[in-house]
Amino acid sequence: MRTFAAFILLCALAGGGCATVKPWDRDLLARPAMKFVTCPSLNGIDQHVYFSKEASMGGASLAGGGCGCN
Amino acid sequence: MQLDESRPRSVRSKLRSAACLLLTAAAPRMVQAQDPAPSPTPTNQFDLTGLFYSERIRVLEPTIRYTRISPGGRTFSGQFGFDSITGASPRGSLSSGQVQTVTSASGRRRSIAASELPTTEFSDSRFAVDAEVQQPAGPFSFTLGGHFSHESDYESRGVSGKLTVDLNHKLTALTFGGGYNSDTVSPVDGTATGLAPPGRFTGIVDNPKHVTNMLAGISQVVSRRWLVGVTGSLSTEDGYLTDPYKILSVINRTTGVPISEVSERRPDTRSRKSVQGDSVYHFTSNVLYLSYRRYWDDWGVKSHTVDGRYRIPYDESLFVEPHLRFYTQSAADFYRYGLIQGESLPSYATSDYRMAAFRSVTLGAAIGFKPSRSTSEWTLRAEYIGQFGDKSPPGAVGVQSTLDLFPTINIFSLALNYRFNR
Amino acid sequence: MTDVRQVEDYFVGRFAAMGGPCEVLIDADSPYRARHAVEIAEVEARRIERKFSRYLPESVVSRINASNGRLVPVDDETAQLLDYAASCYEMSDGMFDITSGVLRKAWTFDGGGRVPAADAIRDLVARVGWPRVTWKDRELTLPAGMEIDFGGIGKEYAVDRAAAIIGGEISDPCVVNFGGDLFATGPRRGGRAWRIGLEDPDHPGRTSIDRLDVSGGGVATSGDARRYVLHEGKRLGHILNPKTGWPVEDAPRSVTVFAETCSEAGTLSTLAYLRGRGAEAFLRAEGVRFRIV
Repeated sequence: MRTFAAFILLCALAGGGCATVKPWDRDLLARPAMKFVTCPSLNGIDQHVYFSKEASMGGASLAGGGCGCN
Repeated sequence: MQLDESRPRSVRSKLRSAACLLLTAAAPRMVQAQDPAPSPTPTNQFDLTGLFYSERIRVLEPTIRYTRISPGGRTFSGQFGFDSITGASPRGSLSSGQVQTVTSASGRRRSIAASELPTTEFSDSRFAVDAEVQQPAGPFSFTLGGHFSHESDYESRGVSGKLTVDLNHKLTALTFGGGYNSDTVSPVDGTATGLAPPGRFTGIVDNPKHVTNMLAGISQVVSRRWLVGVTGSLSTEDGYLTDPYKILSVINRTTGVPISEVSERRPDTRSRKSVQGDSVYHFTSNVLYLSYRRYWDDWGVKSHTVDGRYRIPYDESLFVEPHLRFYTQSAADFYRYGLIQGESLPSYATSDYRMAAFRSVTLGAAIGFKPSRSTSEWTLRAEYIGQFGDKSPPGAVGVQSTLDLFPTINIFSLALNYRFNR
Repeated sequence: MTDVRQVEDYFVGRFAAMGGPCEVLIDADSPYRARHAVEIAEVEARRIERKFSRYLPESVVSRINASNGRLVPVDDETAQLLDYAASCYEMSDGMFDITSGVLRKAWTFDGGGRVPAADAIRDLVARVGWPRVTWKDRELTLPAGMEIDFGGIGKEYAVDRAAAIIGGEISDPCVVNFGGDLFATGPRRGGRAWRIGLEDPDHPGRTSIDRLDVSGGGVATSGDARRYVLHEGKRLGHILNPKTGWPVEDAPRSVTVFAETCSEAGTLSTLAYLRGRGAEAFLRAEGVRFRIV
């Protein structure tokens, strides 16, 4: 757990230094396609399918709910 | 087409100084973006999704999701889903190389071919309800969620919370989340005693299972075109973690023929960890989504997942998005393709192929369509998932070394999503 | 009076100034603040036009052009514009020259095929050249026969000035657009970008060839859409090479540049345009966001 916190903190510090995007350059970032997850419904289904077919779980979001499928 | 930020910007920097001098008296200022969302009336968004999935089992899963964005910025979303699963699932036992008859839990008798792995017919349905409320407050955003699902042998109740902080003119976002699930596993004919022959039960009807999970993540806008994120998560489970219907074969130490069966048994605690990196990169018009996840737990399972999607828009209303995913996992410490007769029983054992070492490839494509002059969107997605394991593991004894102990699993799925606003 | 009306959930004010249509967009829910912003823009646009237009006899520029070689002292604002023009001359290796206005006497950019005679051009080119102007200690000496005009920088400067004054009075995000050169003070409410149409050079004033999302900063376009001459099957834009007296060869149809201020965007788009075929390479090397049609 401590390694996580350190890793996240390191990325935060590194990230702060590389932010040089000016307001007039934020055109692309406003687009709906510029998100990690573009369709939460389909993403949710995927998580469920992989969770029930593999031993791994999770990643970038909290586990939604349990099921008898694993 | 990358902006070349490293070379000296000769004219641009001279121009900057010249313009600063020109506009000293009055320089046009940038105002900050104002939150929350401005629409005077709340927006209601509906997502209708249908999944059809087929391999040995067939799953049909319609879900409805409703999202309401209020003028104050608060978002409420609720989702209701229903799964219907039918088909045959591998029991975990091995084939004999001879004709074998299997009696299923519901009393049906079924003969299978000599070299096939024995399966059980089953049919089940599940419904799930999820709700979530998100409230922005300045640079913070709080989310609270709840979950409830029920199927004939499993019930799950959970709550979760998340906090997001926007920093650095909204170029950096930190996320912290946690959740707790309290589940009950109630196997259909009673809870089988682990590592004992089928037919012996513990007498417990409802087995509790508790899951606590936490995550922390950071996302960063690196440049005009590039968004990256890293997330770490930690999850602990305790309670009944065994699959109540799966068994292992006990095989003769020389011939490899199955002699008897025992129910599987898994530890009653599990600690899972993962780290995932995500990237979204916008080319001139196409967008590349990449992610890598490293997962490991204290059952000995380690996995790598690489997932990539490439969105190719044709104009404002249509896009095509191919998808490729590679996955490899190592076996759980207590995975056995079968137990050897005469050897002492391990503390834990499972033949569930999902706990074995295998590789998986997903190949798919999605098409998105947004009719003009409309806020609705259609997304159709077709995917193939293949799972490939060790057909002839080194420990295979006798006849088992001639049989395919990990038949390739081919899964086809089709999902359709229709999103509209009212 | 000033025409201000509500469009969807924002306001648009329109008026005519500096030889073209001017527009101010205000993302607010108050018609009073919107009206106030448009009035500020109109007052500032007309002030700058009166002060710097070469067509108005009482303007500073007309006074300078009539000075016939005498020393002319100028005020702070004119001095700043002259300093800016001098910097632009240097950083463009002489391609951007505010004394090149006399060359227009030879050309009529009406879409027709008339091109001037070689000696007419030669005579006019002889009257062009910023190095021949003495600009020192807030005093300008313009040799007889030469003229200056702020045509290439005046409108963008007016946009920046209007946006600055509006920004000092109201906090609602606005776009100030004078004849296609604009400045956005910030993204719309909810973080949405302003949707700016990129004019189709083949159909000026009618269709947009593309939509640009702008969250803040200046945007300016140089091109041949409205003023051009057809010569030997080629379209020649109205921006002249001050060294040859002829329009720039192989210039792009339209160059749009995004920068921190409208003045910089305008200068960069003109500098790019003046490079003709090298426009794209120039802008890419400078690392600016741009669109070339």
